[in-house]
Amino acid sequence: MSVLPPFDLVRPANLAEALSAVADGATPYAGGTELLLAMRAGLLRPAALVDLKTLPELSGVSLVDDHVRIGATVTHRQARTAPEGAHIPQLSNVLGRVGNPRVRAVGTLVGNLCFAEPKSDVATLLAALDARVELASTSGGRTLRLREFLLGPYTTARSDDELVRAILIPVRSGRLAAYGKFQTMERPTVSVAAVKEADGTTRIAVGAVGPVPQVFEFPPGERPDCDGIACEVEVTPDFTGGDAFKRHITRHIASSTLSDLGTRS
Amino acid sequence: MSTVTIDTFVNGQRVTRQVAPRMTLAEFLRDDLGLTGTKVSCEMQVCGACTVLIDDMPVSACTYLAADADSRRITTVEGLAHGDELHPIQAAFVENFAIQCGFCTPGFVMMTAALLAENPAPTAEEVAEYMDGNICRCTGYKPILSAVLDAAERLRGTE
Repeated sequence: MSVLPPFDLVRPANLAEALSAVADGATPYAGGTELLLAMRAGLLRPAALVDLKTLPELSGVSLVDDHVRIGATVTHRQARTAPEGAHIPQLSNVLGRVGNPRVRAVGTLVGNLCFAEPKSDVATLLAALDARVELASTSGGRTLRLREFLLGPYTTARSDDELVRAILIPVRSGRLAAYGKFQTMERPTVSVAAVKEADGTTRIAVGAVGPVPQVFEFPPGERPDCDGIACEVEVTPDFTGGDAFKRHITRHIASSTLSDLGTRS
Repeated sequence: MSTVTIDTFVNGQRVTRQVAPRMTLAEFLRDDLGLTGTKVSCEMQVCGACTVLIDDMPVSACTYLAADADSRRITTVEGLAHGDELHPIQAAFVENFAIQCGFCTPGFVMMTAALLAENPAPTAEEVAEYMDGNICRCTGYKPILSAVLDAAERLRGTE
């Protein structure tokens, strides 16, 4: 067995202690499903982890001001079964297919976003739903739209002295959503989340194909242009396919996901 | 580096230890407690060989800190049988020939325990979906699928 590199484990009594540990250089830690793998592979070597799991301020799913608020330590499994999650179309479907039951039992949604894996289904869906992330540090807090937070593969706007407190997903009545993907390996080649708001605005997030989920927004009355999306989307050629292939699949999956919008919610 | 105190129940027995923060649950179980039924293979939460239950939820012991088991109940494959009498899930695996080399078996058995606790009467499709994150390189998956469905039936019969 390969061992993890040594580190200190900080167990804060409250959020203020956690924030000052992060300000002192400790890495926020909850599920560890990505962090511990990166440490074992030698990609990260934090001197200390600050365990967020015992802090009530960071736990739980709640309804706050027309948003579903998902705390930093909420696992995929917890979010999937929380009654508040039923307000968000497609959330349960996408969360139920993350990794495997063991990953879902310990891995958190906030950790999923902070890792910024380009092929994350959760990030793609949340981008289409116009989710935001709440960041906190000893000097205050800020809220970013997910598409401002995700900067590139494994790169976010979170600075070293910040932690992500929660995800905010707007709850809107009359909204339709659909999710589709093309996947032959562990992670998708292309994933598409389509959301149509009651006023007719349509947002299409294309994930997995490029460095971050890319959001295309169409005003009420404008028919979403899948050829245009396939042409404009930024593509990272990799072992799942080259540029032309991925654009072809993007056009196909975007089109089929859009046609699912009317039939499923 | 500091150590962390953990106070836990392993297969029903209280265990209190000082552990290094970097010690995984798999290392704790195998090296400290000698519970080598839990196997370690991929070390990436992909293969399922190291599956154990924490408060009845399945986790990959290879990527779970021993420190996080504090105040929790751990169940390993050693905790299933009553003395020499196999647990119905274990008996179903034996009788359906769902074992060849046996390395993946403790993980499949523990995943089965987790599944049947949540869903006592799964369909074949639900079993296949739940076991998607467990890898066997010997049997093909059909005998395992039969064993899980058989185990479900046996457990429902004992209630």
